[in-house]
Amino acid sequence: MMKSYIWLETSDGSIQQVEQEVAMFCPMICHQVLQKGAGSSKNNAISLPQKVSPAMLSLIFDYCRFHQVPGRSNKERKVYDEKFMRMDTKRLCELTSAADSLQLKPLVDLTSRALARIIEGKTPEEIREIFHLPDDLTEEEKLEPLKNTMDDPRIRLLNRLYAKKRKELKERAKLKSIEVEEHVDERSVDDLLSFINGRDHKVVNTSKSKKKNKKKKEHKNGRINGTCEVSNKDSHNLHSKHRSADETSSSLGSVSNLLSMEDDIFSPKTEFEEDGYIDDEIDPALKEMLDREVEDFARRLNSSWVLSVGQERQPVHFSLNGNGATRRLTGSAARQK
Amino acid sequence: MNNLPEDCIAKILSSTTPRDVCRSSAVSRCFKSAADSDHVWNHFLPCEFPEGFRAPEGLPTKKHLFFSLVHCPLLLHDSLLSFSLERSTGNKCYMMAPRDLNITWGHDQRYWQWISLPDSRFKELAALKMVWWLEITGKINITLLSDDTLYAAYLVFKWNLDPYGFRQPVEASLFLAGTEHDLVQPSMVSLMQNPGSEQGQRAELRSDGWYEVELGQFFKRRGDMGEIEMSLKETKRPFEKKGLIVHGIEIRPVLP
Repeated sequence: MMKSYIWLETSDGSIQQVEQEVAMFCPMICHQVLQKGAGSSKNNAISLPQKVSPAMLSLIFDYCRFHQVPGRSNKERKVYDEKFMRMDTKRLCELTSAADSLQLKPLVDLTSRALARIIEGKTPEEIREIFHLPDDLTEEEKLEPLKNTMDDPRIRLLNRLYAKKRKELKERAKLKSIEVEEHVDERSVDDLLSFINGRDHKVVNTSKSKKKNKKKKEHKNGRINGTCEVSNKDSHNLHSKHRSADETSSSLGSVSNLLSMEDDIFSPKTEFEEDGYIDDEIDPALKEMLDREVEDFARRLNSSWVLSVGQERQPVHFSLNGNGATRRLTGSAARQK
Repeated sequence: MNNLPEDCIAKILSSTTPRDVCRSSAVSRCFKSAADSDHVWNHFLPCEFPEGFRAPEGLPTKKHLFFSLVHCPLLLHDSLLSFSLERSTGNKCYMMAPRDLNITWGHDQRYWQWISLPDSRFKELAALKMVWWLEITGKINITLLSDDTLYAAYLVFKWNLDPYGFRQPVEASLFLAGTEHDLVQPSMVSLMQNPGSEQGQRAELRSDGWYEVELGQFFKRRGDMGEIEMSLKETKRPFEKKGLIVHGIEIRPVLP
C-alpha cells in the first residue's frame, strides 16, 4: 500500500516529505492541504513559517508521529511527554515558537507548562539570565507604581520607601556622571524587588539592623493596632487619614502594621499611587520621623524577611499569668479604636 | 525567548503564580507587556463569582481587579458575607458576619449584645455578656468556594475587658451538613493561649489585630455540593462564659 506524503519547505529553503498522517496532525499544514491543495508535490511544497527550522520540525514530527497513533493509553502519552520535554531552555523556547506557528496547541501547552516551571520562583535577574533577555526597562519602570484608588497608610509608607529608592537611584546616576562614588544602599533594584517578593538569597545583615530588629520586634508585640483591611473603604480612609496626620503613636503603629504586612508585598507595582506622591498633610517633624522609620523598614525588610518567609503570621505568646495575661491582652485591645 | 510572541509568553505566565507574574513585569519590556496583560490576570481571577458580585468601578485592568479583591474584601448578601481573593492563588475567601451565624441565645439581650466597632468589616458584631450555653454555628454553601482547594474555617474574635470562662478548651467541629450527628467528631480548641496545653488548635493573632482559631478543614472538589457546617460550642461545663466578641467565621484556603 502506497503511503502518501506531504511536501514541506522549511525556512532555510530545504524541502522534505513527511508521512501524511504525521503532517496532518498540525492544524496549519492540515489547513493548507485541505483548503489550498498544497503539499502534493515537490514543486507544490507547503512553505512553513519562518520560526520552523528543520531541527524544530523534526522534533515536532517526532511528537506528532507518536501522538497521532490512536491506540495509545493516556499513561503512555504522559510518559512520552515527560521524556520529550527534557531539553535545554533555548530549545524549549524555539519549540514553543515553532509549535505555535504551526498551531499545534497540545505541544504549545506542554512546552509552556515546562517553561512556566522554569520561571516559577525566580527573580527577574535570574529570568533574564536564563532566557538571555535584555534588561531594557528603566529603573523607573521597574518601580512604577500601579495607579489605584486605594488610600491606605501602609501603601503610603511603602510608597515613600519607593520614592526614596527612586530618588537614590537618580542621585546615583547624577553622582556617577561626576564620578564620585557615594555609599548609597548598595542593593540593586532587582535585589530590593526580590527581597520584597520573598526570595531569601543575599541576606545583608548588619549588627546595627539586628539591634533595631530586636527593638522593633518588642515594639511590634506591645502594640497591636486595629485592622487596616476594611471593606468599608470610605470611612476607613477618613479614619486613617486622621490617624496619620494627627497622631504620632498611631503612625508608628501603622509602621508596625506594615512590618507585619511584609508578606503582602508582591511587587512594587501592586497598588501604589502615582509617581512622586508627597504627603502634604504630615508636618515636617513627623515627616522626618517617618522618613527614619521608612529607612529602618527598608533595612528590616532584609533581615526579618528571611525569618518570616513561608509564614503567614507569627503566633503571639503571652506568659501565662492567670487573668493578668488576658487583662494585658485586652488592655491593648481596648486601646484600639 | 525574544522570538516568542507575546501571547505565548502570556500563556506561559498564566501557568505560574500571581507572585511570579508580578516579578516578571520587571524582567524586560516584552515580559512586562505580557505580565500586565488582561489575558494573564483573567486566568487568576475566579471563573465563577458569587451571586451578587459586582466588580468595583474605576479599575482599568484585570490586574487592578485582582489586587482590589485581594486587599479590599467586598460585602455581599446584604453585607453579611465578605468576599475576597487569596493573593498567591486567586482562590476565593469568605467571612460570614455574626448576624449570618446561628448564635444560641443571640437574640436575648441578657446574654448577647450587638455592637459596632470601627475596626470591623461588618456593621454589627456579637458581644457576649454572659452565657452558659455557648454555641455558635455557621453554614456556607460549598459551591461558593474554589475547586480543588483545601480550605479551613476560623472563628475570628476578640476579648473585651473582662473575659471569663475560656481558659479551658472548647469544642469545634466542621462537617458537611446532613452528616449523622454520631459521626461528627469535635476537636478541642483553645481560645486563649496556654503554653502548657498540648491538645488541639490554639488561637492566634491575626495581622488585623483580631484573633482566630481554626475550627476544621475540608477539601473542596469540583462538583461538590451541599453546605459546610462549622461550629464552636461549650455547653458541658457548669459555669458562665463572658467577654467574647465575635467578628465572624472566615473561610480561606490553607496555604502550604
